[in-house]
Amino acid sequence: MTAPAAAPTTPAADVAPEPRLHGPMRLLRRVLPYVLALLLAFVVSGIVIAALGYDPIEAFRTILSTSFRTPFGFTETLTKWVPLVLLALGFTIPLAVGRFNIGGEGQLLVGGTAAAGVGIVYADLPAAALIPLTLIAGLLAGAVWAGIAALLMGRFGVNEILSTVLLNFVSFQVLDYAATKVWADPAAGVAATRSVGVHAQLPTIGGPPGVHAGILLAALVSAATILVTRRTAAGFELRASGLNPRAAAINGIRVGRIAVVALVVGGALGGLAGAMEVTGVHDRAIEGMQSNFLLLGIIIGLIARGSALWVPVVAFGIAVLEVGASSMQRTVGVPAEMVLIIEALILIFLLLSDVIAGRLARKARA
Amino acid sequence: MSEFESLAQLTVVAMVPYLLASLGTMLGGLTGVFSVAQEGVMVLGASVGFLVSYGVGSNTVGILAAAAVGGVFGLLLGAATTYLRLDQFVVGLALFFAATGLAGLLFRVAIGQSATQPLVPTLPRLEIPLLSDIPLIGRVLFAQNALVYLTAAVTVGLYLFLYRTRAGLDLRAVGENPKAADSLGIPVVRSRLWTATAGGALMGVAGAYLPLIYTGTFTEGIIGGRGWLAIALTFFGGWRPQFIAAGALFFATMDVIALRAEVGNIALPSQALAVLPYVATLLVMIFAFRWARVPEFLGRNYDRESRTA
Repeated sequence: MTAPAAAPTTPAADVAPEPRLHGPMRLLRRVLPYVLALLLAFVVSGIVIAALGYDPIEAFRTILSTSFRTPFGFTETLTKWVPLVLLALGFTIPLAVGRFNIGGEGQLLVGGTAAAGVGIVYADLPAAALIPLTLIAGLLAGAVWAGIAALLMGRFGVNEILSTVLLNFVSFQVLDYAATKVWADPAAGVAATRSVGVHAQLPTIGGPPGVHAGILLAALVSAATILVTRRTAAGFELRASGLNPRAAAINGIRVGRIAVVALVVGGALGGLAGAMEVTGVHDRAIEGMQSNFLLLGIIIGLIARGSALWVPVVAFGIAVLEVGASSMQRTVGVPAEMVLIIEALILIFLLLSDVIAGRLARKARA
Repeated sequence: MSEFESLAQLTVVAMVPYLLASLGTMLGGLTGVFSVAQEGVMVLGASVGFLVSYGVGSNTVGILAAAAVGGVFGLLLGAATTYLRLDQFVVGLALFFAATGLAGLLFRVAIGQSATQPLVPTLPRLEIPLLSDIPLIGRVLFAQNALVYLTAAVTVGLYLFLYRTRAGLDLRAVGENPKAADSLGIPVVRSRLWTATAGGALMGVAGAYLPLIYTGTFTEGIIGGRGWLAIALTFFGGWRPQFIAAGALFFATMDVIALRAEVGNIALPSQALAVLPYVATLLVMIFAFRWARVPEFLGRNYDRESRTA
């Protein structure tokens, strides 16, 4: 037993059969559920905000405009986009084989811890050597962390949802150990490692304030994922294993091995995200730096229906919401948690629109 | 009280949230509805349970409120996977997010940023006369809070219901082979709905237990992965109440050891002991998934009109 469900249907595989449409109609059919889901989510959460005694219009205005009003807001959004898109890809790549990687948080934290460790220990190396080293350290640490879950899954049939989640809780202690015993910085005020050397810090592009150069790497990874999943034999095997594991296995695709590799690759991306949070944003590994990136990464992956093409776009939208949320809490007073509810509602309404679209299509055929 | 007695008593106290959440998971799972929203529903149960107890001044009302919201989330999962036949994992994750967000939101709105931590009195110990005087185990088992007794009753009750009644057999049939159950006139959808709802209610109570027993207040990280561990426990217990109860003892022991590590003076770094429950669970799962007899239709949706399933 590798998953509780004998054949978990991925959201991608669950989409209702589409009638053959062309041109603008086809696009409309694609986009309409998203528009409806967004609108409904905002209407419902607007009612909740109003019921709590706040002004929903003002709240939404703040949420949606903060990212675009000032360079700082936009920079913050782009900076948030980097870990979000990487964790979302780390979730969707295993999802393509029907495996759920709920361990992005842990992969991010061990990746960040490893990068911080390398940055601190080899602080004397020149930047041209140290930056790649920290990123590779993060990548490898994330891959190893997910690799534990992948090994348990491939060898012993342990459900990957559970193993990846449990490793998150272990990762908190790994970081805590590094931040309090190994490279502790008592002056930091919070549990954190010492600062990585200047040579480990990612350069800033644009600005001021500017975004760390990791954004280029994240964009590159996104593009590579799209290319690999859609245009290579490996990507085809990945998708085939997810859509119909039996048919794939019969045709000589090693489904079990692909699932293991997909999970490890997903973990590597989480580790990379952690490394770049350390070398690009915080300059050190800090407890709590995982924020709620794990939840958001999963939400992004599910809203994008597992499509690598849509993940960067959805991730940007979610980054806008997240940056707007903290601003909304400051100015309008609505707790920032509201945004998590909006995001969950978008997802739920998107699922509902699938059902409705499916029923309509069936009716149209009958 | 001896050292053994006090540790054993703590272990029994720590068993309850695992056991309740796991029995809730099991109940839904036996009809095929597999929830992955435990962690979220428990956080929500903790938040609502605490807030209502605080507002009303009665822990009983708080626990009932937590059961109610947990039940609503269970019902949502049940309805979305029966009437709409949406993917169980995706809906479960969506409900996990919604519940997590709602828990934090409600707490913020109701309490706001207060300088002093709001507190409710934790549940008192109820000593059962005579039984609590039994040497060694008397105080461990019969001088506990009311929810310990309730959980014991739920465990025994579920065992008797599932394995000693016709209705229990029918219910298990739904999770093994819904088509056959349906053809015998067993209401598949209704069974799925009520077990998912009751399961959610148990998870809600499991969440409310933590602030009302341990801390007296709600904090964001209060559940600390117990919801996810409860899923592992359900597999470990082979989806049967008696083995889940035994497994809960193991999980609670790990919990108590990790808890002791924070205060005790042990040579190992505290982090090494703090990871014990999670690492032990990972190791245990290697064996659990070998022998776990999982309901055949777990995690799958039933479509009466479909020919294949």
